[in-house]
Amino acid sequence: MQTIISNTAKKTRHKKQKEVMNVENTKAQMRKGVLEYCILSILNGHDKYASEILSTLKDAKMLVVEGTIYPLLTRLKNAGLLNYRWEESTSGPPRKYYTLTETGKLFLKELDTTWDELRSATNLVTKNK
Amino acid sequence: MNKTVNINLANILFHIDESAFNKMRLYLESVKRSFANTPGSDEILADIEARIAELFHEKLANERQVITEKEVDEVITIMGQPEDYMVDEDIFEDEPKSTRTEDRRRAKKLYRDTEMKYVAGVSSGLAHYIGISPLWVRILWIILTLGSGGGFILLYGLLWILIPEAATTSQKLDMRGEDINISNIERTVKEGFDDVAEKIKSVDYEGVGNKVKNGGKTFFDTLGDIIMFFFKVFGKFIGIILVIVGATAIIGMFVGMLTVGTLDWIHLPGLNGMMNNITEAPVWLLSLLFFFAFGIPFFFLLYLGLKILVNNLKSIGNIAKFSLLGLWLISIITLIILGVREVASHAFSGSVTTENPLQMEKLNDTLNIQLVASEFYEDNNNMRMNNMVVVYDDDGTPTLQSEDVRFNIKKSNDTLGRISIRKEANGSSHEQARSTAEKISYEYSQSGSTLNFNNFLTTADKSTFNEQEVRVNIYLPVGQLMKYTATNRRDWTVRAETDRATRGLDGYLWKMGEDGVLRCQECPEEELDEEDDDTNHIRINEEGIDIDIQDEGESFKMKIGEDGIDIKANDEKNGGDNVDIKINESGVKVKTNDSL
Repeated sequence: MQTIISNTAKKTRHKKQKEVMNVENTKAQMRKGVLEYCILSILNGHDKYASEILSTLKDAKMLVVEGTIYPLLTRLKNAGLLNYRWEESTSGPPRKYYTLTETGKLFLKELDTTWDELRSATNLVTKNK
Repeated sequence: MNKTVNINLANILFHIDESAFNKMRLYLESVKRSFANTPGSDEILADIEARIAELFHEKLANERQVITEKEVDEVITIMGQPEDYMVDEDIFEDEPKSTRTEDRRRAKKLYRDTEMKYVAGVSSGLAHYIGISPLWVRILWIILTLGSGGGFILLYGLLWILIPEAATTSQKLDMRGEDINISNIERTVKEGFDDVAEKIKSVDYEGVGNKVKNGGKTFFDTLGDIIMFFFKVFGKFIGIILVIVGATAIIGMFVGMLTVGTLDWIHLPGLNGMMNNITEAPVWLLSLLFFFAFGIPFFFLLYLGLKILVNNLKSIGNIAKFSLLGLWLISIITLIILGVREVASHAFSGSVTTENPLQMEKLNDTLNIQLVASEFYEDNNNMRMNNMVVVYDDDGTPTLQSEDVRFNIKKSNDTLGRISIRKEANGSSHEQARSTAEKISYEYSQSGSTLNFNNFLTTADKSTFNEQEVRVNIYLPVGQLMKYTATNRRDWTVRAETDRATRGLDGYLWKMGEDGVLRCQECPEEELDEEDDDTNHIRINEEGIDIDIQDEGESFKMKIGEDGIDIKANDEKNGGDNVDIKINESGVKVKTNDSL
């Protein structure tokens, strides 16, 4: 299993090769990179439907537009990390409640560790700048 | 007032007004395109639709309310632009390889590249699409534009309108996309086949599995897929053909219109005079009408072809479509009306006849008829229209000339000769036709016993072409001797009854007989004898038809007369095949002799 972080780094390097560095792009990519981790974290312990996940992410300013999340959710579901069930709603269409699978929980645990490591590493590096 | 549409989003009914509906539809389509190659795209789309339904639901105060463009815009702002949906390939490198390559294999789309533009980015866009340097496309444009007299500028304009600009990042990526080359095409075709083959296999499997109904449905689905696949392949070919046909026709007509139109603008008097006729529509208007009447259908052909070839082509919009249709109808109707008027202007014919006695100093004198050809007619520099030419005299005044002059030599009822000249013309009424006919000037002169006739008529430029013609009847008294000579080597139409079939009246001396038949004097008698020989001849006279042709052992004889019909064909060279057909009172007799 490869971690998202290394991929982000790769992406940055890739961009550099192209000689095109756009701050907005880099920011978006950084966010996208940790987005999966965030989604899994939000679902940890509570089943939620898309709008709830979205509002949490938007409150945290992790997400600018909602569209990004849908392909991600489907991807995670197809990877077996998430599952969903339908629930009728009193107002509006039926809702798709996502829940973490056992694999998802393991995956999240691994990411937690990596994230901690990464955060301390980043802190260290940026402090010594 | 706006029309509303009912839509079903995630099984909830919404009333949405038409413009908002179109916006929503375009948005969802482009969203769908942005992850068309991602696995589970249908599911993603369903989720997105559900979310949009939820957002609409929140925004509407009650169920009766209609969704307007404002709500749609708000929802799009929340959901993000199509490219925000795209899962960045490089971030997810842990994806299975197959999906990655599929992502890469994004179909190339035709956009205008406004970043590398000179005019509107059409050339650079095309260059990206074909996969060559824009420089070549531009050079080609310049050559074609110069070569076609500007016709390609029109095509450039059309493409400018039709090809959308690559505005967003995803569109720019699509524009550059994967190069279209032989190996790619091969792969696409092969994949298409594999896909179809797989579907066929799955049908067989299901067929075994007793699900007749289900299997049947799948079978037809598969059949549909196969047909669609072939349609796609052949559709492209048809598209290419349509584009080529449409473009060439439009450019050709455009150049034609400009050429004819400018001829009028520089006021070429002859052309002006003749084409105006009664309709009085200026030439540039006529050519413009023709351009619309024939060009618009070809434009739609071109549009259809482009639509087949390039799937992201902009719609020209209903207003443009209907105004083109309207313009086309107007052009057609105007042309029909003008055409009817044009025909009507020739509907009546009128004529003026003048008769003069033919006075000979001595009755026994031989009448010399001399035909003088027009000097101008053979000059190719003149404008030609039907069989009329525009001729300028020394003052520079234009006149129309026509060679529609015919001569008849007939027997006079008395002892005096007469010359009658009938001038004829057409017009929208008898009076008009007559007055046009009167304007025809046709002269002949007599000096001594020589008559000089022109083989052409002239009329003023203003008369315009209206089937003006002159018929000259020369009545000769019985016993009159005549001779005729023609200057220049032009064809004359001289009609007279003669006692022999000769090539013409030229050079011989003729005498008017009692029965109105010209009899050849001084004609070599041998020629007459010769004609009775068995040498080749085709003779048609009062006795009937007599044909006798011999050529190196092949012979053909046919006699049609009072005795009936007798045809003999003989081919000795090729082994002596004989055919003999006799039809007379005793019946029909056919004899064939095939030596082979």
